[in-house]
Amino acid sequence: MSQVSDQTTPRQGANTLPTSERQEVSEEVLKALETYKKKDSPKVVVRFKGVGNAPIMKQNVYKIIATNRFQAVIHFLRKELGWQKGEPLFLYINSTFSPAPDDTVLNLYKSFSTEGYLIVNYSTTPAWG
Amino acid sequence: MTDYNTSLFRRLTWEGTVPLEVRVDPKELPANSNRGLECYYVQAPRISYLPLIVPEIRRFLMDVVFDEIAAKSLKDEEWWFESEEGTLLKWHWPIGVIYDNHTISNTLRSPSPPSSSTATPMRLILHLAAPPNDKLFLSPTIEACKQAFMNQLKEADFIRWGNTRRMTSLRKADQDGLWEGIREHSFDDFWRVASKLMPSVGSSMRPSSPPVPGSSLARPVSTDNVNADRDSAYSIRSVPVRIYLPDGPVLQEVAPPLLEDGTPQTLSHFFSTNLPLLFPPQPPPPPPSRHNPNPQAPSIPALAHTLIQGVIAPPEAELAWLGACMAGADGWLNICIAINRV
Repeated sequence: MSQVSDQTTPRQGANTLPTSERQEVSEEVLKALETYKKKDSPKVVVRFKGVGNAPIMKQNVYKIIATNRFQAVIHFLRKELGWQKGEPLFLYINSTFSPAPDDTVLNLYKSFSTEGYLIVNYSTTPAWG
Repeated sequence: MTDYNTSLFRRLTWEGTVPLEVRVDPKELPANSNRGLECYYVQAPRISYLPLIVPEIRRFLMDVVFDEIAAKSLKDEEWWFESEEGTLLKWHWPIGVIYDNHTISNTLRSPSPPSSSTATPMRLILHLAAPPNDKLFLSPTIEACKQAFMNQLKEADFIRWGNTRRMTSLRKADQDGLWEGIREHSFDDFWRVASKLMPSVGSSMRPSSPPVPGSSLARPVSTDNVNADRDSAYSIRSVPVRIYLPDGPVLQEVAPPLLEDGTPQTLSHFFSTNLPLLFPPQPPPPPPSRHNPNPQAPSIPALAHTLIQGVIAPPEAELAWLGACMAGADGWLNICIAINRV
């Protein structure tokens, strides 16, 4: 089992609020928002499945930090396969759709996991377009 | 046949617009630009996308602002938008979501509550070069936006029905028609196809009484109703919901239309379950006594409220109805959480 680190830091929220303005919002609210921002960061198990001519991975099950964006999964898989920049690679969930790269692995896992795995299909050509 | 109320709210959602002020980053204005006019105002459809309004902005800038020679070196594919506060604006988010997400983040910042009038445009900074593509996630082409849109539709389809058969069984022309409906902002073109995907909510389809557990005969089903029941917003697996918190993150929770006891799930139930710190659950009323035969529980004030398509949503609204009538064109019910000010 390996891990993927999130290399994409969203710019959103980068502006920290000045203290004077922070007091306008109750402490309770800020504490609640902080909690939901950090909301449990467990790892979820992702299973990669090659489609068509895509190369098969020796190891195809990985634990990935749940708060990672799907883009981190794309980067990770490209690296594992030794894919060069510009070489096409298409990723799908449950052989149906490509998620938005800014969606989190946790969100996808909650809605689409099957038997404890998030199944990610990969293909060198568009497979379910 | 879609009933009157459903059509009405779908149309209201479709016709919703937001005011935007687009200003070219002054540091990036090409030489000899007509300064003082570098601002463009547009009332953009909520269900549209930034790449679809770029051509209109470009036309204005080329005609009025940019010097002809300097304009030749500009490339559309390097343009990108930021909010005034420096948040990158994503190509694949519906414009209405970008606007509402900005509004709720402001509920954390601005001392006065946001006015309910639509008079204040959201200020967008247009950059003409060096797009941070890894953070925008998508190339700024209309084709990339269309692909992202189609995938969102499919994802929503999967969440609703457990498969994407409704989407994949559409003919290519119909699939393309959905996107064309958005590009042309044609409600009728869009919904002619979309009504094959979206669940329906007739008044007759709402479960009138909770089913009795353990008895499949409790609710008589006439054969006429079988199709209606199958397509009903109350019989889908889950409503495709995204929750936007001020300054992030975006959460996606499983949102079944009915609770275990067969009653429709309301916004208030959904949020007191999923975000109890902001929407504290209400305690049950104390037992009646001789002095007070109808006691009321002390109500715990919520710390936040919800915005759907820019509208403050009543807590008793049902998720199934909201998902069928107030979802975006991509099928997602986007709920933005705004902070209450005391």
